[in-house]
Amino acid sequence: MTSDDRLSPGLRHEPHVRAGWHRPWLGGPLVLALGVIILIGLLALPRENAALPVIARHAMEIAIPVWGQAEVVSEIVYGSRGFDTFGETFLLLGAVVVVLTLSRPREPRSEYVGEASEGHAEQCRLDPDEPESSDERRARRAESGEESETRRVRMSIVVRVAVRTAVPLLAVASVYTAVWGYTPGGGFPAGAAVAGVVLLVYVALGHRAVRRVVRTTVVEPVELAGAAVIVALGVAGIVIHGSMFANVLPLAQPLTILAGGNAQLYSGAEMVEVATGLIIVIFSLLGMGRDWTIRDDDPGDDSTTPGQGT
Amino acid sequence: MIVANYVAAGCVFCIGLFAVVARRDLIKIVMGLSLMEASTYLLLVSMAYRRGATAPLLSNPPSGESQQDVVHGTVSDPVLQNFCLTAIVIGIAVTAVFLTLVVRVAQHYRSVDAADATALRG
Repeated sequence: MTSDDRLSPGLRHEPHVRAGWHRPWLGGPLVLALGVIILIGLLALPRENAALPVIARHAMEIAIPVWGQAEVVSEIVYGSRGFDTFGETFLLLGAVVVVLTLSRPREPRSEYVGEASEGHAEQCRLDPDEPESSDERRARRAESGEESETRRVRMSIVVRVAVRTAVPLLAVASVYTAVWGYTPGGGFPAGAAVAGVVLLVYVALGHRAVRRVVRTTVVEPVELAGAAVIVALGVAGIVIHGSMFANVLPLAQPLTILAGGNAQLYSGAEMVEVATGLIIVIFSLLGMGRDWTIRDDDPGDDSTTPGQGT
Repeated sequence: MIVANYVAAGCVFCIGLFAVVARRDLIKIVMGLSLMEASTYLLLVSMAYRRGATAPLLSNPPSGESQQDVVHGTVSDPVLQNFCLTAIVIGIAVTAVFLTLVVRVAQHYRSVDAADATALRG
């Protein structure tokens, strides 16, 4: 009798049911030994009364005269370490592309070589008046039913009214975070907040409310446009000043909306990049729900899609 | 006593690492990675702390101080705060990729037990 046979039928298909430990008697001491080494290193770190490092002091000194920014962390993100931010942004973009690739649903079996589309075109050409057979009608109904099952339906009227009231305020606050903050503010938190607003609309008002916007064909070009703006800023810095992400725009008065020159544009592009990236990732994960491989012992499980795994 | 934060960060890192090396549940392995990431945020923010410091903001200096006083005075380390931001974004990206992989493994093998994912085994 296997361990699977001892489980109740309901538990047998739970993905977590048998995942236990992997040699904890070996991993435990190894991690403990590493922990001691880490602890020795940590105790040698500077304490709270240490002098500020030279690089940090330098960033404080050049924040306003060179970058026109009163918020030193923003100056470092979009100015002194702009190239590092560029790398991290494109790491996020790379992750989004990987998630999109991994979460892509299996091609319908009928369309491996486009034969269903060809057949439909030929049918329209040769005999457009032939009615749908009952089998075809049933298959189409099942297909649309399965799709609607995976879509979020809207919540109660109380929630919908509350969300409709809150969403404009939250959307404005999100953009304000990037545009005005401490001039410029943070594109990263603003992007996360924008993605949160879109998710809130989806959860409360259902898939129908966001389906025109939340599509790869819409969101992905917007994300790439944000990435293109960031690349253009970097290249402009190289061309004009010989240094990537050097400021090429006029510096306005600190604490005004145009303060920081490049940084305001960089921050805005970052907001677009992060918001669209998170939206793509979250909705890709949500869309993976029905792509299970079939099991030999599935008792007529219609919710699974036949075919091989990904 | 910022050293307590350092030790806490080290402990959280080790707990996360133990989850990665000793658990077979892929979700718990991703949670372990997230713990390891979180420990770096705690460490970086703790390293940026200075006793009696103000935030590295030049917009509203504390009363009685000028902007130049803030520039040359005691402030939290803005570079390490920037590192923390970078770490958070990279953490999100890595977690997203791993979670997608876990969903695919679960759908393919009907299990999140790493021992069941045998396709690459020689």
